Amino acid sequence: MQLPRKNHVHAWLLLMPAAILLIAFTHYPTVTTVVKSLFSKGTAIRPSQFTGLDNYRMMIEDPVFWKVLGNNLWFALGTIPTSIALAIVMALFVNRALPGRSLVRMAYFTPTILPMIAVANIWLFFYTPDIGLIDQILTAVGISGRNWLGDPATVLPAIMVMTIWKEAGFFMIFYLAAMQNIPPELKEAARLEGAGRWTYFFRVMFPLLMPTTLFVFINAVLNSFKLVDHLFVLTKGGPDNASNLLLYYIFETAFSYFETHYAAALTVVLLVLLAAMALGQFFILDKRVHYR
Amino acid sequence: MSRIDIHNLTKTWGTVTGVDQVSFTVPEKSLTVLLGPSGCGKSTILRLIAGLETVSSGTIRIGDKEITHEDPARRGVSMVFQSYALFPHLSVRENILFGLKVRRVSKARQQERLAEAARMVGLQDLLDRRPSQLSGGQRQRAALARSIVSRRQVCLMDEPLSNLDAKLRAEMRGEIHRLQKEVGLTMIYVTHDQVEAMTMADQVILLNSGRVEQAGPPHALYDRPDTSFAARFLGSPPMNLLMLSSRQAAAALDDFPSDAEMETMHLHQGMVGVRPEHVRIGDTGLPAQIVAADYLGSETIVRIRLDDQILFARTGNKVSSDPEARVHVSWPKAAVCLFDKTGRRLSGDFL
Amino acid sequence: MLQKMQLMMMGLLLSVCLTAGTAAAKQTELTMYYPVAVGGPLTQVIDGMVDQFMAENPGITVNAIYAGNYNDARIKALAALKSGQPAQLSVLFSIDIYELIEQDAIVAFDDVVQTAEEKAWLNSFYPTLMENGKTAGKTWGIPFQRSTIVMYYNKDLFRKAGLDPEQPPADWDEMVAMGKKITTADRWGVMIPSTGYPYWMFGALAMQNGQVLMNGDGNTTYFDHPAVIEALQFWKDLGAKHGVMPSGTIEWGTLRQNFLEGKTAMMWHSTGNLTAVKDNADFDFGVAMLPASKRRGTPTGGGNFYIFKQTTPDERRAAMQLIKFMTSPENSARWSIKTGYMGVSPAAYDTAALKDYVAGFPYAAVARDQLSHATAELSTYQTGRIRKTLDDAIQATLTGAKTPEASLKEAQGVADRLLKPYR
Repeated sequence: MQLPRKNHVHAWLLLMPAAILLIAFTHYPTVTTVVKSLFSKGTAIRPSQFTGLDNYRMMIEDPVFWKVLGNNLWFALGTIPTSIALAIVMALFVNRALPGRSLVRMAYFTPTILPMIAVANIWLFFYTPDIGLIDQILTAVGISGRNWLGDPATVLPAIMVMTIWKEAGFFMIFYLAAMQNIPPELKEAARLEGAGRWTYFFRVMFPLLMPTTLFVFINAVLNSFKLVDHLFVLTKGGPDNASNLLLYYIFETAFSYFETHYAAALTVVLLVLLAAMALGQFFILDKRVHYR
Repeated sequence: MSRIDIHNLTKTWGTVTGVDQVSFTVPEKSLTVLLGPSGCGKSTILRLIAGLETVSSGTIRIGDKEITHEDPARRGVSMVFQSYALFPHLSVRENILFGLKVRRVSKARQQERLAEAARMVGLQDLLDRRPSQLSGGQRQRAALARSIVSRRQVCLMDEPLSNLDAKLRAEMRGEIHRLQKEVGLTMIYVTHDQVEAMTMADQVILLNSGRVEQAGPPHALYDRPDTSFAARFLGSPPMNLLMLSSRQAAAALDDFPSDAEMETMHLHQGMVGVRPEHVRIGDTGLPAQIVAADYLGSETIVRIRLDDQILFARTGNKVSSDPEARVHVSWPKAAVCLFDKTGRRLSGDFL
Repeated sequence: MLQKMQLMMMGLLLSVCLTAGTAAAKQTELTMYYPVAVGGPLTQVIDGMVDQFMAENPGITVNAIYAGNYNDARIKALAALKSGQPAQLSVLFSIDIYELIEQDAIVAFDDVVQTAEEKAWLNSFYPTLMENGKTAGKTWGIPFQRSTIVMYYNKDLFRKAGLDPEQPPADWDEMVAMGKKITTADRWGVMIPSTGYPYWMFGALAMQNGQVLMNGDGNTTYFDHPAVIEALQFWKDLGAKHGVMPSGTIEWGTLRQNFLEGKTAMMWHSTGNLTAVKDNADFDFGVAMLPASKRRGTPTGGGNFYIFKQTTPDERRAAMQLIKFMTSPENSARWSIKTGYMGVSPAAYDTAALKDYVAGFPYAAVARDQLSHATAELSTYQTGRIRKTLDDAIQATLTGAKTPEASLKEAQGVADRLLKPYR
């Protein structure tokens, strides 16, 4: 069926605001980033030239790139499952009738509404050796202080803990909403059939939460690559890149070293990574999680 | 074995009393309907029996066992919910088998019972569908199968048909009744629909504000309502309740009352109840005026003004809906129920 | 006092009268970004100074915009430049000079000064503070919020350990020896921060060991010089061998708090913290020059004024006027007292205000006295990358991942590769 011409015009007019915003702030920058990644660094004295894949070749030889990529994978692995599990546990806890429920919900959600920079500043003092909260507690039970952020072995886990603390409350809200959407009769039906709490959770509730889990999972993965605000305050990627993550490295490259073209190449890699993961999640996992 | 005894069952939430001193007995393999308007406590009673709510006081016995505070899973009851409560992520097969798997019934027995239950409700070909792929009636059948497969003798049904359209409802009503008899279930069935109560019940418990208004077989409730509430709740249109002077009351009878009967009439200060189908429109009795007549095919419902009161008559004859038509109404004395001022039926009656 | 006020008022009136004529004719608008890298309400101080300047110069309007830390300020200034709405002048990191030159963003002051008096003005600052502002024979940056590293020490803890609180360590050996006396289970002898700006602290250690980190043209580094390697070995040994400092890296941002809570008896930190420490320390503290190995030494640090190239001659004149005002002895003295940053010229320390302040609080002059032992802060072409390379090498050493020799040789290799095109 052919739409009358006037309808086409209407359709385009209605699409335009969104399309303009998308093109101006998403598609056009993406294209220019890809193009830019094929050129060399330019200064007023030495203009930039087309160098093909040189920036990517440089990336392969750049140990810091591999280091931050590895860090990012560990960071994702370390934060995502734990924060999701914690979010579910917290949501289960506050999804019951308990005194001061809204207060507890609020308390769980508080980390999320705090700006990341503020959170990082708080945790900076938690982690500070000797005077930090964590060390003071450890000293009280007779364990001598550790330099959490100054030791390459502990710095990334320390940042993961903070991220989990920050993210779990956010994810909890989604789980809480999803749990409240599960009809209470399902639980009653399961109870009558003799299903205990665990059986109910694993056989009924968790499968029903799968759409939420998928949503949260995608968000968590994206966040693990997107959230780097805390690094500005906590470690600046140190010591010796032990806590450096890909996006922070891109920032450093672009704005500290002014190697915007190399940064563009790194950005392209990040884009491809994220796009691949998002597509994979939607196509592979999506089929298994929706029941309605 | 599966007879249910409810004794002085009470449920309170703070100062609110939802169920108040309710007692009744459900004989084995019979169907009892809990009937009442919304908020009367019928669903709460069902949930108390199922163990989904805690009992404030009173006792519940099933067979020889007191189960007032027993774990829901060990009461030997199955339940069908108004929303069916099917697990949306599981196939019909998995839904039906859910309880058996939880209780670790052997695989072979699972299959055997599944086949039997599926055959009984006619879902053999739909076992691999998800609930979302079923129609309302099919979902209802799946919920029934889940209840049957448990082999529990007591089945509790919470308004199981209220989500279905009228035609399907009639069909499923018959189906549930058939299954109850076939399997020999002791069933408590909650509804606010008097048609379901009248057609299915061996016993109807009519509830009002958490109390038992009247219990008995459907015809007893219909013919001899204990209270004006029961009189008004059952029947469509309900029983006419009229304030009549003893002279009027006597005049309305088409068979002449005895003196003793007249005496009762004189003493009585309350209301006269007559079912619409017993109201005769003719030339004798009390003078009245037809207000409207609704022709329904097999019958006609006539609205009649009697002084400042309105009464309904049901008749097989065609009635001219000519307004202002002057008529006379009368009824046989056997059809009359007398209620006192508090709404209780006077035991004396005419009979 | 009253007389002084009257004098000031008269001067103000006079300058208003003098500039009134030109003001009516033309209004020059200046946008200036400035960073704040240490704690305290420094934006108020700057705003106050700018307001005073505008009152004295009605022909010039100044928008002073706080732009975060040094990094943010540079990014914002350059972004504004690229977007075509440039600032006319800014306070930026003194070591951004090569990057700014390479971006062709700034003009040399030699091309802006006109009168002989102004040329003389260029030479009125401490020469050491000018080192980071000069390259290729020209002056590009005028010192403003400048600092050096000094050693803050807790006299109470010195006393407790049986040390003379008036005798802070003069060399490395003394610092280690004293540190050992002070260090207990819940207290360290000394802390040198190794996040944030590790290369800066290391510039001090290297110089004390007799070697600066780079040449004056900004195209050669000396990271693998034996004296430099030895300096890094010493830094590592403070924690690993002598046990007077925590091992691993030490956080720049929380170090002051550590010191204020008495968790370390000595800390190396920017003079920019002086006022904050003075206001918050509930114990008797001292400030000393950094100890020596072969000699004393510290890099200077902090921000310089730059004038951007995309400016009209009028704007440049106005910018010159503002810079001259902000760095005048009186204002430099005021700035120094409010913050702990140094007075930028000898004349600043000759003002009555700063003289009085130093007399009452002699530690305010330590940074100045140390200037004779100071050198430029690490600043080269490709400075961001090279600085980070050295930072990584330092952190890799302090955390025990690499030996000083290996990490510094590696860093030097990277630096050589990056700087080759500039030689």
